Amino acid sequence: MSTSRLDEARAAFERDLAAAGDDPEAVERVRVAYAGRRSGLLGELTAALRELPKEERREYGRALNELKELIGQRLETAKEQARTAGSGRGRRPVDVTLPGRRPPRGAAHPVHMVRRRIESIFLRMGYDVEDGPEVEDDWHNFEALNIPPDHPARDDQDTFYLPGGSLLRTHTSPVQARVMESREPPIRIIVPGRVFRRDSDLRHSPMFHQIEGLLVDEGITFGHLKATLEAFLQDLFGTYDVDIRLRPGYFPFTEPSAEVDISCIFCHGSGCGMCSGSGWIEVLGAGMVDPRVFEAVGIDPERYTGFAFGIGLDRLAILLYGIPDLRQLFEGDPRLTRQLS
Amino acid sequence: MKFDLAWLTEHLTTEPDADVLAQRLTASGFLVELRENVAGGAVWDVEITTNRPDAMNHRGLAREAAVAVTSGLRPLAVALAESDEAADDVAAVEIADPELCPRYVARIVRGVRLGPSPEALQRRLERCGVRPINAIVDATNYVLLELGQPLHAFDLARLEGRRIVVRRAHEEERLTTLDGVSRRLQASDLVIADGERAVALAGIMGGADSEIGEGTTDVLIESAHFDALTVRRTARRLGMHTEASHRFERGSDPEIAAVASDAAAEMIARLAGGRVCRGRIDVYPRPWQARRLVLDVGALSAFAGLDIDPSRAAAILDGLGFGPAVDGPRIAVTVPSHRVDVERVADLYEEVLRHVGYGTVPARLPVLRTEPGRRHPNWELVDRGRQAAIAAGLAEVVTWSFVDPDDDALVDGLPGCPGSPLALANPLAQTQAIMRRSLLPGLLAAARASLNRGERRLAVFEEGRVFASEDGQPREAERIGVVLSGTTEDGRVVDFADLKGRVEAILDGTCFPVVEWRRGGSPWLDEDQGATLEIEGAPIGCAGLLAAELAARWDLRQPLYVAELDLGAAMATPPMPQYRPLPRFPAVTADMTVEHPVGLEYRELIGAVEELAGELVESMELENRYSGDELEGRVVRTTLRLVYRHPERSLTQDEVNAAQDRLREALARRLGVGFA
Repeated sequence: MSTSRLDEARAAFERDLAAAGDDPEAVERVRVAYAGRRSGLLGELTAALRELPKEERREYGRALNELKELIGQRLETAKEQARTAGSGRGRRPVDVTLPGRRPPRGAAHPVHMVRRRIESIFLRMGYDVEDGPEVEDDWHNFEALNIPPDHPARDDQDTFYLPGGSLLRTHTSPVQARVMESREPPIRIIVPGRVFRRDSDLRHSPMFHQIEGLLVDEGITFGHLKATLEAFLQDLFGTYDVDIRLRPGYFPFTEPSAEVDISCIFCHGSGCGMCSGSGWIEVLGAGMVDPRVFEAVGIDPERYTGFAFGIGLDRLAILLYGIPDLRQLFEGDPRLTRQLS
Repeated sequence: MKFDLAWLTEHLTTEPDADVLAQRLTASGFLVELRENVAGGAVWDVEITTNRPDAMNHRGLAREAAVAVTSGLRPLAVALAESDEAADDVAAVEIADPELCPRYVARIVRGVRLGPSPEALQRRLERCGVRPINAIVDATNYVLLELGQPLHAFDLARLEGRRIVVRRAHEEERLTTLDGVSRRLQASDLVIADGERAVALAGIMGGADSEIGEGTTDVLIESAHFDALTVRRTARRLGMHTEASHRFERGSDPEIAAVASDAAAEMIARLAGGRVCRGRIDVYPRPWQARRLVLDVGALSAFAGLDIDPSRAAAILDGLGFGPAVDGPRIAVTVPSHRVDVERVADLYEEVLRHVGYGTVPARLPVLRTEPGRRHPNWELVDRGRQAAIAAGLAEVVTWSFVDPDDDALVDGLPGCPGSPLALANPLAQTQAIMRRSLLPGLLAAARASLNRGERRLAVFEEGRVFASEDGQPREAERIGVVLSGTTEDGRVVDFADLKGRVEAILDGTCFPVVEWRRGGSPWLDEDQGATLEIEGAPIGCAGLLAAELAARWDLRQPLYVAELDLGAAMATPPMPQYRPLPRFPAVTADMTVEHPVGLEYRELIGAVEELAGELVESMELENRYSGDELEGRVVRTTLRLVYRHPERSLTQDEVNAAQDRLREALARRLGVGFA
């Protein structure tokens, strides 16, 4: 059959081209031998078409066209390969110091980057990450947390109210109450989320973010709280190697309560503008769950103890990234996000 | 609160080192925030938490300091010389409502001459942030700062009938307070009245009528105890906050009233002359009842995770005035009258622990059941959305949850608008008065700011909640909003397909069910370049070119492509992808250029192709779309690239050609299209 000649030619071409390897001159010799204008094999095979019987021409012609296309493509590829990888003349070195062509890049907001880091630390310690509504009722935001109406602590948490008695939660603590109402101890949760207070100045934003933590079980001690917070802060501030200090504080829903400071990461405790000269930066509030909270949510305070803590997420973010003004976080400026990612 | 250091240490039996004192006070719960020198003396700014009104004065903080630095507290001694005239004969006190005023002590000083107080005393007041006024007022302020008892000095001559009546105000009764404001009172307010009218707002502020003035010769000093809640409610309602109300609201010490009245009378007589009348007028219808508690130090040690010696605990409680009686591991105490915050044993734990020092408690991690932590499905959902948007090259921003009512009003027509607006009852500003029902207004304002800064390229997203009222109930929903404008990384001007590609990436990454894109349906978007996104006919968002009216409203001078998606429509848990056998035989690709009217949507075309193509077509994609001038805008050419593959053998070109021919015929019959 006449097409068998084409198959032979194809096999021979593959063999010769493989032998030529990356040598540009050898590839050129193969080109001349097969596709050369005057003496190339393809020319011969094309000429042979005319000598075939009419009924074979159609099939031969189609197969020949395929072969031509294949040889053309393979030669192009081989020439390109020889040029870039080859050792002969005609190579063109790349300026490796030119900038690369990067794929478009997205970026997470600093508050959410820090949130994910904190979540990951507590997930590794076996905590669940919980969620709850941003529009709350008075019971979960205040009363269940031992803040009855007219309690002076309500002054510290100036509240946005909505029609019908609901309010914007002033902290993530109401989710504590919700989880304790619906679940038996042991409870081990953190609750990240957005919170609102009617306050706006250099250090306060009417909208910010917190992470609440709660652990309830039999035999939980103040020493457990201390160790947990130290483990968390050491992990989060890792490279800064911070000192951690707990000092007594006051929250209606914990007894005793503690304010937790880290040694100033800017001056290493010697005193600077960022720490108001004290050498310490307040990073979170904590304490042992007040027995009244347990009573309000139906957990036996004789049997169980627990601790809770509240972390100012935005504050940690501005500390970790060195952002001077909290409110910059919520201006919707993507330059901030891209810069820090 | 500001404390004069010398004044504070006057109350201690030893003079502590200032650095040690500051450190120990901080460690026991009184953060020394600032130490500075003012008006010739050291002033400390100490944070006193709201539960510790007893420490909002020098003697109270000195009591804590004495325990913190193991010093002692000097006894309180007032050397008072009294005249023969009995106070009872000069004036009278009546308490009409003993629930709201459990005790009222009055002292009378006669024959005073009003003048300034001595320099040293003035400076001391100034260091504590109190402006000196005259010797009498300064004396009352001094005693307040020293002992924590709010006092008031009345001009006795201006009290009708020389009587004090503590009673509820009459409805609509008026009183002009010292600040010159005429106050309208109600029956829930407690007033100090004379024989005729109200002369002071109990525990908050005195009245202008009975104020000490140039002509004052006789003074009645009030040293009383008022119900905290009553003071707080009245002060809040009238928008008042004074040194007195601050303390009464938090709970004052009923037992200090007598000593404080003595101290004030002694000072006034010393500084302004005059004679102190014999005896106090002390009306005390509801005497203070001491609370007794028993502390189990063993239980405290277990709670703390630290072995605490009962004798150490007793020493602390003794220093704080709890009169402990030790019986083995148990300590019986009497809560002193100044400690209104201590009600339960749990409160005693704190007293001991904070003076033992939080720093001494060994840190031990709790031993917990090892069970992997789980994230709430909503966090999984919103972070899937975030990750997908970030992977699509978008930068995350956060904007305010509250918006301008005018902006919110435009949101009504958006597909999937969640309900009627939820307005704040007490917004900080009118521009932040409504909870957002869409992320777009906030994103557009942010986009305007970016463009005004001269940025040419915008590719941002926000994930966050929107809020609405539905049947009177507040509702929250998670959304993702996208804004795209300017040029792409490779310098092309962004168009609808750039937006759609990113939105599709978010839909896929967040695991939405199949989403249909339908042109139109959103008044926010350009008629020709806007789409409503639907799942089974229900709108879940929109995407497209921002309509010109809205662009003008936000003053946006370049085209903006925007999208908003309801994340609640995504699948709660993404399905686990399942393996399908990988093809073993090569595929053959073949292009097909369809010429069809503009009105034929790609979805319809591709739907017909999928249906008619037969089993050998493995996949297809859009290769090219041409609607150039020569086609006069009425027809377009859509080139599809089809991938043919047989699962069990290689396909020949002939088979593929034949399949393409069949497909062309079928498409022509079905859709009336031609081929180029």
